[in-house]
Amino acid sequence: MAVAAPGQLNLDESPSWGSRSVDCFEKLEQIGEGTYGQVYMAKETETNEIVALKKIRMDNEREGFPITAIREIKILKKLHHQNVIQLKEIVTSPGPERDEQGKPIEGNKYKGSIYMVFEYMDHDLTGLADRPGMRFTVPQIKCYMRQLLTGLHYCHVNQVLHRDIKGSNLLIDNEGNLKLADFGLARSFSSDHNGNLTNRVITLWYRPPELLLGSTRYGPAVDMWSVGCIFAELLNGKPILTGKNEPEQLSKIFELCGTPDELIWPGVTKMPWYNNFKPQRPMKRRVKESFKHFDRHALDLLEKMLTLDPSQRISAKDALDAEYFWTDPLPCDPKSLPKYEASHEFQTKKKRQQQRQAEEAAKRQKLQHPPPHSRLPPIQNPGQPHQIRPGQPMHNAPPVAAGPSHHYAKPRGPGGPNRYPQGGNQGGYNPNRGGQGGGYGSGPYPQQGRGPPPYPGGGMGGAGGPRGGGGSGYGVGGPNYQQGGPYGASGPGRGPNYNQGGSRNQQQYGNWQ
Amino acid sequence: MAANFWTSSHCKQLLDQEDVDKVPQADSDRGITPEEFRLVKIHMSFHIWRLAQQVKVRQRVIATAVTYFRRVYTRKSMTEYDPRLVAPTCLYLASKVEESTVQARLLVFYIKKMCASDEKYRFEIKDILEMEMKLLEALDYYLVVYHPYRPLLQGIVNDTYKMDLILIHPPYMIALACIYIASVLKDKDTTLWFEELRVDMNIVKNISMEILDFYDTYKIDPQRGLPEDKIAPVMNKLPSKA
Repeated sequence: MAVAAPGQLNLDESPSWGSRSVDCFEKLEQIGEGTYGQVYMAKETETNEIVALKKIRMDNEREGFPITAIREIKILKKLHHQNVIQLKEIVTSPGPERDEQGKPIEGNKYKGSIYMVFEYMDHDLTGLADRPGMRFTVPQIKCYMRQLLTGLHYCHVNQVLHRDIKGSNLLIDNEGNLKLADFGLARSFSSDHNGNLTNRVITLWYRPPELLLGSTRYGPAVDMWSVGCIFAELLNGKPILTGKNEPEQLSKIFELCGTPDELIWPGVTKMPWYNNFKPQRPMKRRVKESFKHFDRHALDLLEKMLTLDPSQRISAKDALDAEYFWTDPLPCDPKSLPKYEASHEFQTKKKRQQQRQAEEAAKRQKLQHPPPHSRLPPIQNPGQPHQIRPGQPMHNAPPVAAGPSHHYAKPRGPGGPNRYPQGGNQGGYNPNRGGQGGGYGSGPYPQQGRGPPPYPGGGMGGAGGPRGGGGSGYGVGGPNYQQGGPYGASGPGRGPNYNQGGSRNQQQYGNWQ
Repeated sequence: MAANFWTSSHCKQLLDQEDVDKVPQADSDRGITPEEFRLVKIHMSFHIWRLAQQVKVRQRVIATAVTYFRRVYTRKSMTEYDPRLVAPTCLYLASKVEESTVQARLLVFYIKKMCASDEKYRFEIKDILEMEMKLLEALDYYLVVYHPYRPLLQGIVNDTYKMDLILIHPPYMIALACIYIASVLKDKDTTLWFEELRVDMNIVKNISMEILDFYDTYKIDPQRGLPEDKIAPVMNKLPSKA
């Protein structure tokens, strides 16, 4: 083991053990926020490499180093995959946070903070999807979905449950790579340690029925439900199951997927909370009807992901073999995806908030009536008045505070009833990213028949609502970190109903009605 | 556990015996010999074991704690990192990592109860929490440890943690050595079985010999650990808390 001699600086490489100081990095901008800590974009001063620093706050910890951080570190130290965020190193802050000189104060070193250093990713999926005017193409959705499933399959093979799959935890870089991030709720599972897992995990909108029914013995299927929710959200243009609390979440699931019985889900009536949440009247499954505008293979796959019985739910591996990924239009090459100006949910929200404030001000002056922002489903629609701009370079694009996005090269061709418009190349991509800005021209959008539905009422407007607090990205996702008992019903989960972030958001965005 | 031994940091970090036996400069300056260095590690392994029995954690937690403890002293000196504090802190950290968290105040309570007679072994919560951070750093945040356990053979395997074997050999070789010892003790002919495994029997036998040598040399009382007259002078060489 190579160890620098005492007193001798090892400048060539990071030391093989022992951690460096956070002073090796220059913080550039905050990209995430939560009570757990902040995430910063930072530059390593020596190499100019851009990284993300996730702060683990140590003060107010009665049980020392947070067990959530231990889990995350433990798991990230051994997962190495192109679709899993890479933990580069861990650095310590030399003293109390607000020491301006940054000089180490002897004896106070460990009152400071710990930072996890990650590779920097430009976007998270929610942030990207919520960009005004953003629409994903089908090959793009397939590309993201395939990467998501590949990364998740790797986790599951290595006996890791992610337990917080949601858009803001799926990071995307400007090479089109998607990586799973925020393993703060992740757990190893193994045959000898079966059961007794907390069901207070996974952000409410993405939480599977078995957890809502109180299961403490569960497996990789929980993540697959979340994947199904994200998949539908990508195709639908907005979250599909948006309960405000656990009972409501469950009833929304039943409304969409039908009420479970012993026939379709053997054992369901024995679930711990089945009797509390027993459906009043039987409902039919209507996934197909609700999403009949999705293409056939997408719908097939979605049906298998949103299977109520976890034991019958499709695995990541089988999902990768689904027809969907092997029929035209095929998933595109990540590298062919356009580059976007950095967007994290945290930032998009902040921008939207600023926009909203400006608009509110304008409204008060009765100068204009601003259209509510909504995320656009991947639908082609003629004459959509905004978000279409002539091609424009992607890099170094000036920050757009809230205006139309700039990644669609040309006005879209006529929408029309055909499912995959006649747009020549299946992808509809212009691989010449940067230069011409995407060129989604007549890309293949799943057909819906009518214009993008406006968001129902206000409230849901984009990134509001219980999406898990303050925009996690690298996973400081709000005040909902559970600390304490390992199997704990002790710590509140990430459910938005426990989460100030969520209610705060609702307040903010609720004004919209 | 995730991943597997072969791709783990544990596998990549296996050491040579010489590296493990090397007494850190600060300790040898205090007159600690390699033999005494080893004695302290045996003694403190017992300390961890006894404390663990009080707070009631799984076997695995103890094994991980002892591994941390031994790993720390391949990098840090006992002069700088008081083994009397490092030992309980390793148990505290291991309990979190192995998902059987023991509260710090509970640990401190049992330390005080167990070490009522010796003030040098008693610490407060803040000492443990502060040392935890230092340990994490000393361990470079590599926290996952693989162990040679199967319920069978637990006794012998447990004894291997009174040695540094876990730092030197992969867990499966240690397990094989334990099986070998057990089979010899029970007069079972396992020659064929080992042949089929196609492992290097020389290594297995060497590890077995080390374990047997250890039994011979130290003749440790399984309940009480090292005799006081043997360990006390060594511990006195180390600085105790201010």
